[in-house]
Amino acid sequence: MTNKTIAERAVYDKTIGIVNNNPLGRGFAHPIDLAYRNGELFVLNKHPVFARVGVCNYREDYLREFGTYGHGDGQFWLPTGIAASDDGHIFVCDEFHNNVSVFKVSGEFVTNWGRKGSESGQIDGPSGVAISQDKNILVVDQNNHRIQEFTVEGAYVRSWGEFGTGPGQLNQPWGITTGKDGSVYVADWGNDRVQQFDTQGTIIGSFGGPTEDEGGLHRPSKPAVDEDGYVYVSDWGNESVKIYAPDGRYIQGLRGEATLSKWANEFLDANPDESIQRDISNLMPDLPDHFNTPYLISTQIESYFWGPSSVIIDKTHRLYVVESSRHRIQVFNLV
Amino acid sequence: MVCAQDTTEQRSLMAHLTRRIGFGATQAELDKLETQNYEDVVDDLLDPGESNHLPDELVLRYHTEVHEQRVGPWSAKQWLYRMVTTDTPIVEKMALFWHGIFATGYAKTNQARALAVQIDMFRKFGLGKFDLLLEELSKDPAMIIWLDNQDNHKGAINENFGREILELFSMGIGSYTENDIKECSRAFTGWTLKNAEYMSVRAMKDSIWPYGRISWHYEYREDDHDDGVKTFLGETGKLNGSDIVRIISKQRVAAEFISRHLYDFFVADEVPVSQWPYTAPKDPKAIATLADAYLSNDHDLKEVLRVLLKSEFFKNSRYERVKCPVEYVAGCLRVSSAVNKPTLLMNEAVSVMEYMGQSLLNPPSVEGWHEGTEWINSGSIVERVNFAYEVWGNSGSIEVKDITDRLSVDGDMYAEEVVQSCLNFMGPLELTEEATKYAIIDHVSRNGLIKFGDKSSKTRSQAEERIAEILALVAASKEYQRA
Repeated sequence: MTNKTIAERAVYDKTIGIVNNNPLGRGFAHPIDLAYRNGELFVLNKHPVFARVGVCNYREDYLREFGTYGHGDGQFWLPTGIAASDDGHIFVCDEFHNNVSVFKVSGEFVTNWGRKGSESGQIDGPSGVAISQDKNILVVDQNNHRIQEFTVEGAYVRSWGEFGTGPGQLNQPWGITTGKDGSVYVADWGNDRVQQFDTQGTIIGSFGGPTEDEGGLHRPSKPAVDEDGYVYVSDWGNESVKIYAPDGRYIQGLRGEATLSKWANEFLDANPDESIQRDISNLMPDLPDHFNTPYLISTQIESYFWGPSSVIIDKTHRLYVVESSRHRIQVFNLV
Repeated sequence: MVCAQDTTEQRSLMAHLTRRIGFGATQAELDKLETQNYEDVVDDLLDPGESNHLPDELVLRYHTEVHEQRVGPWSAKQWLYRMVTTDTPIVEKMALFWHGIFATGYAKTNQARALAVQIDMFRKFGLGKFDLLLEELSKDPAMIIWLDNQDNHKGAINENFGREILELFSMGIGSYTENDIKECSRAFTGWTLKNAEYMSVRAMKDSIWPYGRISWHYEYREDDHDDGVKTFLGETGKLNGSDIVRIISKQRVAAEFISRHLYDFFVADEVPVSQWPYTAPKDPKAIATLADAYLSNDHDLKEVLRVLLKSEFFKNSRYERVKCPVEYVAGCLRVSSAVNKPTLLMNEAVSVMEYMGQSLLNPPSVEGWHEGTEWINSGSIVERVNFAYEVWGNSGSIEVKDITDRLSVDGDMYAEEVVQSCLNFMGPLELTEEATKYAIIDHVSRNGLIKFGDKSSKTRSQAEERIAEILALVAASKEYQRA
């Protein structure tokens, strides 16, 4: 799989983050998704026991955190998706609790709703959440292979999709986002594509597909859409990001080129024994032939994406790529 | 379909085979095997081909931590999924066999991904020619760090790997001299890993910063290799590590050493390897047979295993081994069909193996685990009983429903009949202490006759709950701890 560039749309800017192995504090612990609001980045961490939301900004100030690991109100077990509404609420879905928790941006818990099942309004393994054009909440109902729309209070509005490979059908979908015109883009994980729907759930088109060429996708995790309709997809199974023109043409692929974040530099300044050896190491080595998959290569090459689980675009035309296994966010400027 | 008490010798033999070369079989799997020729089944098992199992990508998506595999239990979880769901269990069983001998642990390496890569190497080479396996092991990055070969330099040898490849990995104490160890170590100078200095300092500090682990790969540094003349086990020349492996692999003593390990793991528990120089094998004739097979088949381990599995000493070895915790846990999960999608039950399963005394990917030392009856003590048996009750006591599991359906064919049953049938399904097992059997029967009798009713009826659901409880009690028995 190559990452051929036909037209450059994204240029690497910087890296934010460092691994955190504690229940709280600066850094990330298996970041799985990200939301942006008013200059703040809400990073959802899916660590097996240290799940939480960490809040920071582009300048790498670590601001606060909320939500903890547990089964109570405002707690997570297997959090999977996060979204921020314009009126200042944060929505987090949890595939173990089968619910959506609502917080204020300050972190104050508001409510939660949702219960497991396959009937309309019930959810099974929610894996993504987004705000619709009507200010409703779109939930990716992973194991029911559909999208469901709820009011912010959790009242059922509509749903669409069913298991299958045809247009409009879904196979264990993952992430979701909405475009400027209200279109809904869904990472159709098991079908290796992103599907675009209108606000009522009618299929409009798709991006990617299970092909071996540069435009193909393999188990995509989440799409993002810019103001011009270009689509950016975290191509989880290929450990890359793919960019498509509004008409579906592939134009650019990213493999990742992380550099040291502010927090990473501070760590290495405090640990010169590691810093000295790191400086004289070759961190872009030629690999033996048996490291022959994007996943295996990413385990060895630190600057490459490893576990790109989410992409979002902020109001200043920056693309953020979240890597669950490198515990960081690579930032690209859109051109 | 086999019903309540139709267990045949052929079915019993097939159940034995699947316990030893894998982690046991469901009733549906035994239905198929029972109709086949034993020798053909062995040949098929030894030619496993491509593995089918619960797709890794499903596991990695659900368990974000398994995607990273930063620490031992996170890699162990993925391996356990493979053991429980694979259709080529012999591949995983051989990997477990070699993991116990070439015991490499997380406690020192602090690099779970490298351990997973080592297990993959065992899958690929574990059933092939011993020479190739031993050479791959010598190039394995986790082994290099585990036994300090990154510190084994031209003119300043570190003998750790050079000693253990002889003592614990291929020939055993008494088969070589101290000078052989030195010459062996010289031959392996320059066999290291990429960025060894940086990776070594991180492993030593268990540093995960800044962005998690960077996995390892092998590097040969020619400028650090001692290219001088060496004499090893009577052969002289400018020997490199590959020459050492070639010389070791053709020794009769290596054939016997590997054969005794195979006997210990697949046939009957032996004393710990540290006692081998002082204790004769349980069955010297069997070891000689296997060693002959090794030498006459160009060190091909598959052919040695073929001889072993078709032998009478193997067929007659039922319940001669105590299941190690991994076999017990994987077996319970597999045979009860408890895992068909990613589940948090696997978090518990990995932890409980550790509580039972076996931390997968983290053996206590380079000698591996002491097996046999040493697995059983008052603490570990409680963990086994509790885990069996949790897994087998789930009346909603596919296997419990299947066994209940099979029992229902004969109509309503008394406790004694049901307990005997469950013992057949779970083994067949014969409880050596009548008191245990009658305690189970007495417990089941308290609720009277087991009535099956129609499928999907409330009566059938109640029967499933009672059958699940009996199966859990059988799985907790002394006899079920054996393979």
